[in-house]
Amino acid sequence: MSAEVTRREFLGTVAAAQGAFVLGFWVPGKAEAQTPPAPAGAAWYRDPAAPEVNAWIVIDPDDTVTVRIAQTELGQGVWTSNAMMVCEELQCDWSKVRPQYASANRDAREKAPEWTLKVPGNGATDPKGGGEPTFGNRDRTGVSGIPDSLYRRMRTNAASSVKDGRYYLQLAGAEARERLLLAAASLWSVPASELVAKDSVITHGKSGRRTTYGAVAQRAAQTPHPHPETITIKPPDQWTLMGTERKNLDVPIKVTGQAVYGIDVRLPGMKWAAVKACPVYGGDVKGYDFAAVRGMPGVVRAVQFPIPDPACTRGRIFSGGVAVIADSWYQAKTAIDRMPIEWTVPTENAVVTTAMMRDALITSIGQPGRVRVDQGDVDAGFAKAAKIVEATYSTPYLARARMEPGNATVLVTNDRVDIWIGDQSPQETRFSASKITGVPEANVHIHLCHLGGGFGRNGNGPQAEHAIMIANQMRGTPVHMLWTREEDFIGTTYRAMGMARLKAGLDADGWPVALEVRTCMQRDGFGPEASFDVTSRYHVPSYRYSSHTTKFHIPVGTRRGVGQAAHEFYRESFMDELARAAGKDPYRYRRELIARANLPYKADMLKALDMAAEMSGWGTPLPKGTARAIALEERGAEGNGSATISAMVHTVSVSRDGKVRLERVDVAHDTGFGLVNPLSVKKQIEGQIVWFYNDAMHQATTIADGHVVENNFNKFPLSRMSENPPQINIRFFPTQHWLIGMGHDRATSVQSGIGDAIFQITGKRFRDLPYSKHDLTWS
Amino acid sequence: MAFDLTVNGTQHRVDADAQTPLLWVIRDHVGLTGTKFSCGIGQCGACTVHVDGRAVRSCSVPASTAIGKPVMTIEGVSPDGSHPIQMAWKELDAPQCGYCQSGMIMAALALLRDRPRPTDADIDARVTNACRCGTYHRVRQAIHLAAQLMGTRAGLKTGSHEQGDLT
Repeated sequence: MSAEVTRREFLGTVAAAQGAFVLGFWVPGKAEAQTPPAPAGAAWYRDPAAPEVNAWIVIDPDDTVTVRIAQTELGQGVWTSNAMMVCEELQCDWSKVRPQYASANRDAREKAPEWTLKVPGNGATDPKGGGEPTFGNRDRTGVSGIPDSLYRRMRTNAASSVKDGRYYLQLAGAEARERLLLAAASLWSVPASELVAKDSVITHGKSGRRTTYGAVAQRAAQTPHPHPETITIKPPDQWTLMGTERKNLDVPIKVTGQAVYGIDVRLPGMKWAAVKACPVYGGDVKGYDFAAVRGMPGVVRAVQFPIPDPACTRGRIFSGGVAVIADSWYQAKTAIDRMPIEWTVPTENAVVTTAMMRDALITSIGQPGRVRVDQGDVDAGFAKAAKIVEATYSTPYLARARMEPGNATVLVTNDRVDIWIGDQSPQETRFSASKITGVPEANVHIHLCHLGGGFGRNGNGPQAEHAIMIANQMRGTPVHMLWTREEDFIGTTYRAMGMARLKAGLDADGWPVALEVRTCMQRDGFGPEASFDVTSRYHVPSYRYSSHTTKFHIPVGTRRGVGQAAHEFYRESFMDELARAAGKDPYRYRRELIARANLPYKADMLKALDMAAEMSGWGTPLPKGTARAIALEERGAEGNGSATISAMVHTVSVSRDGKVRLERVDVAHDTGFGLVNPLSVKKQIEGQIVWFYNDAMHQATTIADGHVVENNFNKFPLSRMSENPPQINIRFFPTQHWLIGMGHDRATSVQSGIGDAIFQITGKRFRDLPYSKHDLTWS
Repeated sequence: MAFDLTVNGTQHRVDADAQTPLLWVIRDHVGLTGTKFSCGIGQCGACTVHVDGRAVRSCSVPASTAIGKPVMTIEGVSPDGSHPIQMAWKELDAPQCGYCQSGMIMAALALLRDRPRPTDADIDARVTNACRCGTYHRVRQAIHLAAQLMGTRAGLKTGSHEQGDLT
């Protein structure tokens, strides 16, 4: 096929192609509306058969309700919770709800309806108020969403899907419901106010007339609401669907193998690409010998690609690479493994090691940093203290290592780009596709797939960019690029290595009179530069906090827990050390210091601590070799807006030969004004216990000769069933604010909890993670 | 280089190098994509299928080892999710992202065949698949529930009639 292939020609070529799992979907001559008759389990947007009531809702004549989801399901339950927020207001039959991904292409072409742009009430602290997405610098690359595009914010990050989406999604459901009622009212010539809607049925009490949503949906689609600005949403005390435990709607297709992830996409005429990118970031291909593998079975060609344009990767510098294209992926992978490739690597990057980076952190943290808080007189506090406690903690670089390796299927023609991908940030991918190919964003179609884990993965790394750069050199041919696990560890950003130095002066009774906190992390590492817990949660009269940075060539980005994970490890570990230095119980010590503090959500924090302690049987005897540790987890407690507050008690055993077991976790978690799907919240808490257990016990990414060393699960271990806590108890308590979110920074306390339990049992205090690298034996 | 492979009770003519890992033959030649690729070195178990009734990490065995033996993938457990192990998984709402769950279910099913009432220690020893979302808490409960449901069913009828269940 020539480079000048047009869409129409491509369609003609492949029109006859069909296979077992091949989607034969092109509709010749209808370039704008090519909609795949997707396999069962595919989740991407399709043009609706029935006219949509609004951009979120389509109702078929048989009452099937399609709800468009603008976030990506990656295990956090958004497929279900977003639908619940819409359907709470729509008042449809929940058993007939079918989520589908929203169209990122329409998001490029259509503006947000006026009625979605005004958020009433006092946001975070008003039960009737809305959330408001934060659009950051309001650029149009989609990094933080786009303030006025159809779906505004299509990112899936920062545990924000409910916080940012709830108001808009409830309003979308309410607007559709009102239009359905107006349609029925006009049909029957009665006032809409006399109608009642429930479970997709509209009834008129006076006349006994009855109809269904499906019967009036087409009329509703043609009936704009005259005053959409007057529509209001239900406050939590009127919820009937939200707040109930709902099984996740994507689960049935995930137990049969039907769910279509990006890796499962098959197209007519599709070729496969296996990739090798330079293992040292900033490096590129110097040369490669395709002739050496040209004759191998299935091999088509090799395609080189440069370091992705930093404009497409939020300024991060990844690597250049080369792909081998073949009829099947295994053929492509076999060939590229044998193809000689020479790299050119910046000398300064090629010498970097973890030890060097650690030295740089130590140097930086000892120098004057950026002072964020300076309250009271810290130096005077230290001078008069009865006791000084100092500790330095460190956390390693960490990969996300989601289970689905990076992949994307891309078809570029001269007038259109199609991308099949599981993606946490499709607006950014759309921007990248346009930037790389020159095709306008309005002609970029992203067919969203379920994603095999996220954890901050997309929107940070070059999975889409690699695939687009390759397919752009093979216009007219759909190319499915799939990374090996080892490549997946190259094509990603990392949670930055971090360090904290804490120093406290205690009075004669053991209470802190002065606290100095210094944190250091790679610049842009979302640690010190993200103002997560600059304010001390525990009361200290004099407090100074400074952040320090270093600069390395490893691309860093948002990983589950972001800066909070490291910060809470530092803070809660140090609280345990202070309590022990004071000879006081760590639970009561924390409690007293929270009680002395002047924080808006103080009562909620005390409630969390008390509830977790009570659930765990705090203070009751445990067998030798077993200990409990408590910690507070909160976000937003310093402000008077959204917040999430929890406390956990970890019961941990350590055998004499140093085997650690997290035996039991007791969790007290606030609900705010209300949780959307408490079942999903429980699952997220259970999952984050595993996540931070791995951070605490097993995982570390090290750097040697400028490249990442741990590049598969034999070197970057994932805990298994045998290490999972046998008991997880979760209880909720209501609070008077909206939650910030709970999908990424809960259970950070597993880190400090295991550390303090190890101390209690073995007498040894370890301050750098993971603990498994230390000698944990005792006698 | 063509060979025959029996997957979920259906014989397939496969035109590929028989040294190709079984995973890629199942995904790309037989066309069943429920079995997942993740690590490629037999570490994580996302690619677990049954060969001759045993759980096998299909990314790390050549397809040739399965010639002449029945292969069962997640699609063969039941296409409609009605097998007790799938019912148990749904009852517990076990999956999160779901990517590892096909392999997890296949590993658990192989365990339940050998030990219809597994202990927690049996589960720890035999279900060693990795899940990055951390679904272990629910997966363990789902295995116990599946054991109950399968036990009940075994009491109701003798023998199994699952498609592809040739063990």
